[in-house]
Amino acid sequence: MAILEVENLSVGYHTQKGYLHAVEGVSFSLEEGKSFGFVGESGCGKTTLGMALMRLLPPNGVIREGRILFEGVDLLQKSDEEMREIRWQKIAMIFQAAMNALNPVHRVHEQIAEAILTHHVSLDKKEAFEQVEELFQLVGISKDRMSDYPHQYSGGMKQRAIIAMALACKPRLIIADEPTTALDVIVQNQILKEIMNLQKEFGISMIFISHDISIVAEVCHDIGIMYAGKLVELGSREEVFSNPAHPYTKALLSSYPTLTGEKSRLIPIQGETPNLIHPPSGCRFRDRCPSTKAACKTGEAVWIENSPRHKTLCYQCGTDCKQG
Amino acid sequence: MNNGKETIIELEHIVKRYASRGSFFGARGKEIIALNKISIKILKGEIFGLVGESGSGKTTAGRLIVRLEKPEEGRIYLNGSEMAGLRGNALKDFHRKVQMIFQDPYQSLNPQLSVFDTISEPLVIHKIGNANDREDAVWQIMKSVGLSPPDDFVNRYPHQLSGGQRQRVAIARVMVLNPDFVVADEPTSMLDASISANIFNILLDMREKLQVTLLFITHSLSAARYLCDHIAVIYKGKMMELGSADQIIQKPKHPYTKALIDALPRFGMPGEINHYNTLLPVARESSEYEGCPFFARCSVANKTKCSLEKPLLKETDDSHWVACFYAVNGTKKGF
Repeated sequence: MAILEVENLSVGYHTQKGYLHAVEGVSFSLEEGKSFGFVGESGCGKTTLGMALMRLLPPNGVIREGRILFEGVDLLQKSDEEMREIRWQKIAMIFQAAMNALNPVHRVHEQIAEAILTHHVSLDKKEAFEQVEELFQLVGISKDRMSDYPHQYSGGMKQRAIIAMALACKPRLIIADEPTTALDVIVQNQILKEIMNLQKEFGISMIFISHDISIVAEVCHDIGIMYAGKLVELGSREEVFSNPAHPYTKALLSSYPTLTGEKSRLIPIQGETPNLIHPPSGCRFRDRCPSTKAACKTGEAVWIENSPRHKTLCYQCGTDCKQG
Repeated sequence: MNNGKETIIELEHIVKRYASRGSFFGARGKEIIALNKISIKILKGEIFGLVGESGSGKTTAGRLIVRLEKPEEGRIYLNGSEMAGLRGNALKDFHRKVQMIFQDPYQSLNPQLSVFDTISEPLVIHKIGNANDREDAVWQIMKSVGLSPPDDFVNRYPHQLSGGQRQRVAIARVMVLNPDFVVADEPTSMLDASISANIFNILLDMREKLQVTLLFITHSLSAARYLCDHIAVIYKGKMMELGSADQIIQKPKHPYTKALIDALPRFGMPGEINHYNTLLPVARESSEYEGCPFFARCSVANKTKCSLEKPLLKETDDSHWVACFYAVNGTKKGF
């Protein structure tokens, strides 16, 4: 069963220069216990998407259309009060640069206990601390470091503490926005493994947001590639990587240095991402695309099914084309 | 490892210590050893990779080379002459020849200087050329780092540029001096993966066009593999392994290098990947000062030997150096 279904979601920001189309017409569904990864460059709307799912957009952000069905219920119809109940208890978020999210003047375990106490009014402080202890064990922070202040933690430990906090209320869904950016490779690998183990153990569903396609490839069952606010390719990890169809996905893959295989010159993606206040007509990647055609400017967007679990957004070919 | 090529930079038994701040109540702070007897030779025209985690001392090594810091012990040579004694004009000349590209292009550019002023400033400081020559030089270097057409960019300010464009400005500013040696300290760690490839290619082009030698500091072995001719892996200020890029990536010998390779996400299907598994899941207790620095996390270590004795850096095969008592050839396992 799908725990989360997003239909035609469009999100934007009112700015001084006009309305910015940050996310447009994104639809996907996440199966219970699975993980879905969003990949794209900075400014492609992936963080906005995560924030919109939690309904945590800044004041100038608006969800223009679409539905967010969580366990079959549309989150966009909920009142703020109802939403507050769902946040953290059912959907938790690991924010970008979360290590800076810890309050420097409170001990780490107190901050996590506070999150628990806020959402479980029936617990007393002692019970909450016991829960914190369990959580820290889960994420691999030793007991005697529990009552340290954040500055006494290394980056990796802070990140673990943040993960513990996300797990505090045993959520059904965790949205992780670049949870390992700014960490060293070895620590990053440990944290990713930790996240995957916890996910398996508790059957938590996950949405994973990153600019690094290799990390998403490591963690997620399904992958969505985003470009300039639109989802352009969607499919299982295996299919997207072994058989990428959208030119942008191909470009992303060939711009990444690897440890194995032939050492050939990387092909960077030329140009800059388009302006999202006045987005270009047709395919948004057309100015940077090596195989652009006239139809890319004027054509209708069509989702092409490469296989039942692998789709690509294409403007070139109307309905009769099989390959993007 | 010379192969008849000249050495441009040589670090000889470099030791660098920092005193951590003592407590407010007067207790003396601990001494932190950032670099512990590091020796490196960098050949003219190559890209030399220095790989390590944060806190390994890799940035310190770069800062020592450009004289932003002074070593406590050891010597650094540029083209055979020692750097520490440089004064006056020789020092100014040194600063023209040896340059650094910093990690964070959001902080390394002056927000009040336009792109033109940023790139031409080094020429003004070193009194190179007249106004016309400088303009030509700026235009030319902007084209070669991909800021083209230059007219679109010269009058912009850093806040009007994307991260990738800023880093190109930072590279142009360094390369416009036609330096002999450039330290690039994690130049892409603040950038998106897709933009990194651009910066890597610019560095390769610069080596080609300007014959510049580069020290590339990174935490990513896959980036080092792409760019570098030789790679040195350091951990807690100690040299762990040193060799050609192919030796380090394909036949790693040190358990720490193997752990670094294990930790990198791979694109392959999960089933195909074999790991070296040299990293202990939980670090063991160990003394900070005795024995191998990697002992606490090493699964290959011998408990008595490795905890008491520091392994020396030894040459195993042809120009492949490892500091480990139990260095074994990495088999084809991971590949």
